[in-house]
Amino acid sequence: MQRVFAIIWLTWKAAFRFRLFLVVAALLLLTVVAFPLLIKDDGTARGFTQIVLTYTLSTIAALLGLSTLWLACGTLARDIEECQMQVVATKPIARWQIWIGKYLGILTLNAALLALSGASVYALLQFRATRLPPEQQHILRSEVLVARGSAREASLEQEIQSETDRLLRERLARSPVSQVDLAEVRKQIYEQVKAEYQLVQPGYIRVWEINLGPARHRLRDKPLQIRFKYNSADRSPSGTFTVLFQVGVPDKTPLWRSEPMSVAPDTFHEFEIPPNLFDADGLLTISALNPNNTSLLFPLDEGMEVLYPQGGFAPNYLRGLGIIFCWMAVLAALGLAAASLMSFPVAAFFSLSLLALVFFSGTMASAVAEGTIAEFDAERGTRGSSPADVVVIPTFKALLAVINLVKSFSPVDSLSTGRSITWGQLGLAFAQIVVLLGGLLCAAGIAIFHRRELATAQATP
Amino acid sequence: MSPAALTAVSPTRSASSNNDVVVSVRGLTKVFKDFWGRPKALAVDNVDFDVRRGEVFGLLGPNGSGKSTTVKLILGLLHPTKGFIEVFGHSPRHVATKERIGYLPEESYLYRYLNSRETLEFFGNLFELPKDDRRKRAEQLLEMVGLSQVHLRSVGEFSKGMQRRIGLAQALINDPDLVILDEPTSGLDPIGCREVKDLILALARRGKTVILSSHLLADVEDVCDRVVIYYGGRIQAMGPLRELLANPDAIQITTPALPRETMERVLQIIRQDVAADKVRVDTPTQNLETYFLDVVQKARQAAAETSGATSGARVAAYLRGEAEPAPTPDRILERLTAPPPKPVEAAPPAPAPAETAAQAKLEALTRPEPAAPAPAPAPAAEPARQAELEKANEKLAALLGKPRS
Repeated sequence: MQRVFAIIWLTWKAAFRFRLFLVVAALLLLTVVAFPLLIKDDGTARGFTQIVLTYTLSTIAALLGLSTLWLACGTLARDIEECQMQVVATKPIARWQIWIGKYLGILTLNAALLALSGASVYALLQFRATRLPPEQQHILRSEVLVARGSAREASLEQEIQSETDRLLRERLARSPVSQVDLAEVRKQIYEQVKAEYQLVQPGYIRVWEINLGPARHRLRDKPLQIRFKYNSADRSPSGTFTVLFQVGVPDKTPLWRSEPMSVAPDTFHEFEIPPNLFDADGLLTISALNPNNTSLLFPLDEGMEVLYPQGGFAPNYLRGLGIIFCWMAVLAALGLAAASLMSFPVAAFFSLSLLALVFFSGTMASAVAEGTIAEFDAERGTRGSSPADVVVIPTFKALLAVINLVKSFSPVDSLSTGRSITWGQLGLAFAQIVVLLGGLLCAAGIAIFHRRELATAQATP
Repeated sequence: MSPAALTAVSPTRSASSNNDVVVSVRGLTKVFKDFWGRPKALAVDNVDFDVRRGEVFGLLGPNGSGKSTTVKLILGLLHPTKGFIEVFGHSPRHVATKERIGYLPEESYLYRYLNSRETLEFFGNLFELPKDDRRKRAEQLLEMVGLSQVHLRSVGEFSKGMQRRIGLAQALINDPDLVILDEPTSGLDPIGCREVKDLILALARRGKTVILSSHLLADVEDVCDRVVIYYGGRIQAMGPLRELLANPDAIQITTPALPRETMERVLQIIRQDVAADKVRVDTPTQNLETYFLDVVQKARQAAAETSGATSGARVAAYLRGEAEPAPTPDRILERLTAPPPKPVEAAPPAPAPAETAAQAKLEALTRPEPAAPAPAPAPAAEPARQAELEKANEKLAALLGKPRS
């Protein structure tokens, strides 16, 4: 281990002597402490959270991510280009130890920078929270600076699929459809059925039955929060629509009715409900009445959610930083793997391009959902197909599978909405991001570095 | 390897020239290829040689002849296109074998942001040397290469010569059995060159194997037992240096100046067997290096402090195979309370039996000026010699620039 520690020490030394550590630390402190101190929030808990938590944590992740890639590419590629690696590799240290030493060096640097900036944000958060009005402070403490578990309606996908199949059979019995159009017909029926489950017609009620599961035992006498979101095809003059809620299990628990709520579409809303509205099995029934003249659509995945207290903010915050650290680990592995094969500028460009690909993965996802990369044909009202689909769509699918290993965790969003990041989630993030994806990149990088001839180039000053 | 084990290796150069092969190269070929895998340059072409334990082996050749490529192949930094290499009976990529190798590359490829002490500490850690050993060796090496006074300056701030010195120090941190030096005297001043050559000889006397790659013929001639001469990637000549350079058809006799009559008698006898035009009588001259070192030694009598490298001290104790005596309180007390040395005591101490003439010379060169009374004025009988030295000094100053202040 002495050899690996020597390489870790060298990486730290380089980061300090080239002032990278100090510059990144200063930038982080400037952006996460100085700017939020200068920028005024709107005095609400939500505005406060947006600036002090969402903005700062996103900035930390972005800045650290870029510096990690840069350092990872530089620390190895430049050592090879400037030929110092020729001297190191002739010492009794295996190539994999050099590689791992560099990797651990970058990870420990990241850990230090993340701890520094994370602690600063936490201190800033606590300090600035005291300056909010009392009622906003209450909202902040109950909705953001907590760790809340979440319960949703059981998945209706199976029900929708079987209903779709039933309707398709009926449709085929009435009038046969050619084999070519069958998939399209089924898709349309599926969308119709799904819409029926999501839509609440004017004057109608939609009921959600949400099971709180084992958490119910801890939730007696504790108020819960309902978080909902709806969409509407129409607009109202005020920009809002009215919704009424009833919560409680009829004949089993007390029923609680809300006042008419005038809320905007396409955004999340939260309200608190009194304690003990769920039954002994943990079942909570929520009904939403649509008194408007237009239909409201509550999306299946994020339309209705019950949030309940699960733990303190500080450990939740630490776990959130833990997931950000996992992201940094995979970026370090990516940068080092690229630098094992390429020169510094090429490796940096390659790694940054891959990072950009992650940000634009939405385009790939929609192409995969549509099954083609062809554009929408406005004249025909249909989407065509491309000969490249055979190759591109499976490639996109594979890329998305890899990207989703990383993107399926959203610690900033969870912390900003006061949701709990469980140890299980952190463990899963570590397994998926660091062990699986990072491990693959490490293995590839080490294999390339092991085989590489280190003395093919003359030193570049 | 412990010092005891190291000293058990053949102590003399002649005895070490046995068949104990340290590096074996057979049919070695290296072709550099371009991005598409097309041959670009044939750097080494079907080379065979062995390097035996305890010998100083020279790779000689003009620039681009394949010397450095051969060295890098031996070190596992490049992969052979054909042929094979064994170092201590293993592949050049065998990690454990590298514990016995010290390497000085042709340029000082060191971390510019580390200072010289940190550099040695870092490389010492790669050999898993214990902390105390590491520190001790670093100090001895810095002293040896004359960088102990600038050990806190970053290597990036060093002159090329100073970088070579610290490069040499890192190559010796592990007390290697095989030392591979690629152009070791490149960028060094004549004193540094001499010190490096003395060091190579000292290492060889301890049974170490040295591979020296150079295009400087004088370097190779001074220290190598055997050489290969490269040209165009192929070996053009190979063998013991004495055999390669010997002229068996002539002899040379050097004596102190003889009276004219004696000379006439000697020549008369010789001319009985050899034609008069085949006999040559002249006064031997010392070479420029010896003359230069003499000039510098004189100049050092009035030495000022330097921010650059100082002349190296004795070869590091652990490289000489000596056990470091532990400083005892008694000795420290003795040193602190000892009276200042008298001028007569400033004479060089008799070299220890284990020490060589080269080490003694090195010591004589680097001995600090005694603090006692000012030196006696130069004898009046030597004004001509003094003037000659001053002239040479001026010439050298013009050639090399002013000494660092």
